[in-house]
Amino acid sequence: MTVLRDYASEVGQPTLDAAPPRYDEVVDADGSLRPAWRSLAASALDLTGPQLRRVRRDIGRFLGDDGVTYRRPGEPRGPWRLDPLPLVLAPQDWAALEVGLAQRAELLNALLVDLQGPRRVLAEGVLPPEVVYAHHGFLRVTARPGTHDDRPLLLTATDLARGPSGDWFVVADRTQAPSGLGYALENRHVISRVLPELYRDAGLHQVGPFLQALRSTLMQAAPGDVADPRVVVLTPGSSSETAFDQAHLASGLGFPLVQGNDLVVRDGAVWMRVFGRLERVDVVLRRVDAAWSDPLELRGDSQLGVPGLLEAVRRGSVRVVNGLGAGVLENPGLLPFMSRLCEVLLDEPLRLPSVTTHWLGDPAAAALVREDLDAFTVRTIDRSAELDGLDADAVLARIDAAPHRFAAQALPTWSQAPRLEGEAVRPRSVALRTFTLRYGSSYRPLLGGLASVLEGGRSVSSKDVWVLKESPDDPDQGLAEIMPVTRTGSETPLVPRVLEDLYWFGRYAERAEDTLRLLLVAHALAEDYRGRPYSAGGVALRVLRSALQHLVPGPYDATDGSAVDADLRSVLLEVERPGSVAQSFAALRAAAEGVRDQLSVDVFRAFGATERAAALLSTRDHSLQVTESAERMLTGLLALHGATASMVHDDGWQVLEAGRSLERCLQVVVLLRRAVTVRRGIDVDRLLHHGVLTATESAVTHRRRYRGFVRVATLVELLLADPANPRSLRFNLEALRRHVAALPGSTGSTRPERLLDDLAEELDRVDTVDLVPIEGESRPNLERHLDTVTVHLTRFAEAFEAMHLAGAPAPRAFGLAGRGRR
Amino acid sequence: MRLDVTHRTTYAYDDDVTGSYGIGYLTPRELPWQRVESHEVVIDPSPSDRSTDVDHFGNTSTYFQVEAPHRDLVVVAHSVVETDEPRHDPALLAVPWEQARPSTRRDVPDAWQALDLALASPSVDHPPSAHAYAATSLRPGRPLGEAVLDLVHRVHEDFGYEQGATTVTSTIDDVLEARAGVCQDFAQLVLACLRSHGLAARYTSGYLATEPAPGKERVVGADATHAWVGVWVPGGGWFAVDPTNDQAANERYVTVAWGREYADVPPLKGVIFTEASTSTLDVAVDVVPV
Repeated sequence: MTVLRDYASEVGQPTLDAAPPRYDEVVDADGSLRPAWRSLAASALDLTGPQLRRVRRDIGRFLGDDGVTYRRPGEPRGPWRLDPLPLVLAPQDWAALEVGLAQRAELLNALLVDLQGPRRVLAEGVLPPEVVYAHHGFLRVTARPGTHDDRPLLLTATDLARGPSGDWFVVADRTQAPSGLGYALENRHVISRVLPELYRDAGLHQVGPFLQALRSTLMQAAPGDVADPRVVVLTPGSSSETAFDQAHLASGLGFPLVQGNDLVVRDGAVWMRVFGRLERVDVVLRRVDAAWSDPLELRGDSQLGVPGLLEAVRRGSVRVVNGLGAGVLENPGLLPFMSRLCEVLLDEPLRLPSVTTHWLGDPAAAALVREDLDAFTVRTIDRSAELDGLDADAVLARIDAAPHRFAAQALPTWSQAPRLEGEAVRPRSVALRTFTLRYGSSYRPLLGGLASVLEGGRSVSSKDVWVLKESPDDPDQGLAEIMPVTRTGSETPLVPRVLEDLYWFGRYAERAEDTLRLLLVAHALAEDYRGRPYSAGGVALRVLRSALQHLVPGPYDATDGSAVDADLRSVLLEVERPGSVAQSFAALRAAAEGVRDQLSVDVFRAFGATERAAALLSTRDHSLQVTESAERMLTGLLALHGATASMVHDDGWQVLEAGRSLERCLQVVVLLRRAVTVRRGIDVDRLLHHGVLTATESAVTHRRRYRGFVRVATLVELLLADPANPRSLRFNLEALRRHVAALPGSTGSTRPERLLDDLAEELDRVDTVDLVPIEGESRPNLERHLDTVTVHLTRFAEAFEAMHLAGAPAPRAFGLAGRGRR
Repeated sequence: MRLDVTHRTTYAYDDDVTGSYGIGYLTPRELPWQRVESHEVVIDPSPSDRSTDVDHFGNTSTYFQVEAPHRDLVVVAHSVVETDEPRHDPALLAVPWEQARPSTRRDVPDAWQALDLALASPSVDHPPSAHAYAATSLRPGRPLGEAVLDLVHRVHEDFGYEQGATTVTSTIDDVLEARAGVCQDFAQLVLACLRSHGLAARYTSGYLATEPAPGKERVVGADATHAWVGVWVPGGGWFAVDPTNDQAANERYVTVAWGREYADVPPLKGVIFTEASTSTLDVAVDVVPV
């Protein structure tokens, strides 16, 4: 039996409990499949439990590779969840919804225009004024005569439930900065790869054209007549709950993802800081809530906004999408009045009903709700968490004190759809989020969406949403006419914050790689010599471990042979250990999250591989696993290297490569300083020299170039002075000079450039032959030289960071003046 | 009465400020009982950008951006204003106060707007303590004007004028607890008292020409910005009362701006970019009858 047939027969059974009947998205009331599923290829019906389990594993892998995460408020970031079985809607199912959603967006837009302007619906008693005035999202700073925007809503989202008869009901509107489109795009991307046949044969609407239409809408939203408008996506930052969603959408749209301090208001317009230059911004797609968007006129403690943004909006020099006043529409208090509002504002009947909702400012409604409190979810009209955790008496007391601040919504009857659990599928509640875009003069819903599987009112997984085509020739999204907009990655300008992230990305990637290589050499020695601490190999192992200790300080004693595995594991896994591979990866990941829109998905795939290698190591405690995992991590890093190598060679790439070259310089100097400046006897030194060559990937080159025995002179020559060895100090210094020189602002005489010139002179001045002589047990000239180089590199790093990466200072509110006397 | 008002605000920082954005409510309103003869706002250093706009409540706001690095920012607003004694229809002030709730007076054309000022606002909540305090004055059926003046009188009697007793973050409960505050606190307390009983009341910001003590010279700059309260009178505009001075507003009051509370209409606020760690603020107001 296959899972869907099992499901159909199970759902078709009459149930014993008295649960209210629910609409099943797959199975008809008489137990047969609904048309949408009937039209799918037989491959859907033939899916077996083990097949679906494999699909689920692939989904996890793809989502991990793409680094798709979600963070619930107050919880750590977790993986995004996607059920293999999509929610499939037949064309006739969708048709009714489509007109209702388009009308709803039109209505909400008209309502917002009125509320930000004449407020006719309040004056004429269509809507009780308290529903608006008592809502935190009603922004008096934008509701003034000078601010007029007749299409403040360009992108809305609507959350829907489906009743027992299959009719749709609105649960809530999302108008401020709707989230989820990025996740919906990713869901589709993943499902199309893990169920390719099903996907190909289904005849569903692709989402791509919708994204192109959104891009076109945003460009056309620019005020005035700008030939090449600049659109940015304003994010609260990578710690935001839906950071992935924001970055993925920005990347899909080809618009830069910026934070508040990347932007500045000057002359009443918004500008983006780009390498010390300012570039005019015409449209801001915001994911920052209005209250946080301008510390000058809204929340003064906000670090997420742009001081003066409201002034720029008022002057009409920038378009913020959605309009800053849109938050007032996220308001359950409006729902009882939507029908009347629709008649007044659009002169037509409301098509899409809402879940039964009462505004408690109406005494009759309040009495009704009081009678049967358990049947409702009571919230403030601005949906604050004020009532969370209160008992019924406390809730009633709050309502009594200010009834107009509350709305009560009947618990929706959700429809159900199969969700994979173990190897079987079970009927679970689903909610649908749809997205509606203003395109040209009308609103068009996305033919698709984001479905949530609910458990106890919480979303536990998402589902892709397939809207099937009436005929295979139907254009995707019904949008035949949109010209595909090609993405030009190089046009994305780089703000200082992005440069900083890319620089650290380069540095941490290199640091992780070099640490892994050294660790692999040390582990190989440990395999041979761990039981023989007094052998030459035992001594060499201690030296390399102390070099590692220098780079990755930890609580382990380098002379304690029994701790070697624990030490090396900790170098790989312990994120708290400074310099550890785990820490480098975490920092690398954080840097990458901040610039997700700049990086290809291959970068995130490489993270997926390294994370799996780390997970494996932490569950297997035999020694060989250290090497195996370290090698896999290294492979992941090399893939990362490959992914960044194919980036466009723009300013960001120069900065990333500068970070990498600098780190490589530093690493080779430290390694030489720790391993070859002291003479430890011919056998130990031989092992060490081989180790150093292996850790710097230079063993083969050395063999080819110098043939025989490894001497300090040839080692130092190859790793310090050789201009052709990609691992040498000289090679990387020259690379660094090129990357720095290519950056805007470099003139040949800036401080970072002069410091590199000084270092190059220092290298020119020194003849490697002079570095090797021994005095006593050490090589003082080599020690001195390496120390000088380290000082130069450190100074350069400081100067470089100060000149090229320093972002804008944070804004501070100055005192509220004039608390006076009298 | 003709009044010449000079309002000087000086911010001094201990390090360079490299960018400063400001918003101020410094321009007196044109009103049936108030005409603005002349008005200007001078900002030093000179702003690279400035503008004025009319806000949600009809007040004039001034926006400016100073880009020149500076350690002192001086904003001087100078206005010459002609004021009249406010007039109210005694019959309208004599209605039982319960009939002045905008939520029950949809027959009055501006009730829907007044309703905005009958609800709690971010800093003016309606704690039970304020409701109870006001109930003593708002006895059933009492004429509106009389009840309001009684409330204002009690606040004046029960609360001490004391700088530093409260801060800008003090709540209504804090003020009731401390039994002390400054004019902004008293105004917001009266707002909470009236609104918690369903009346509409607006925070009003402006200036008051003080009279020197008998036999003393006027002290230049000794005045300050002032705040009082307007109470909605159905069909009769707003009745302005001053809890700090226990009186109805008169021709010595210059009205600048009104809103739900202080934060809607601060004389000046802003955002700066600086490494400075401290700043000092000096406000000098001079209101001279001319």
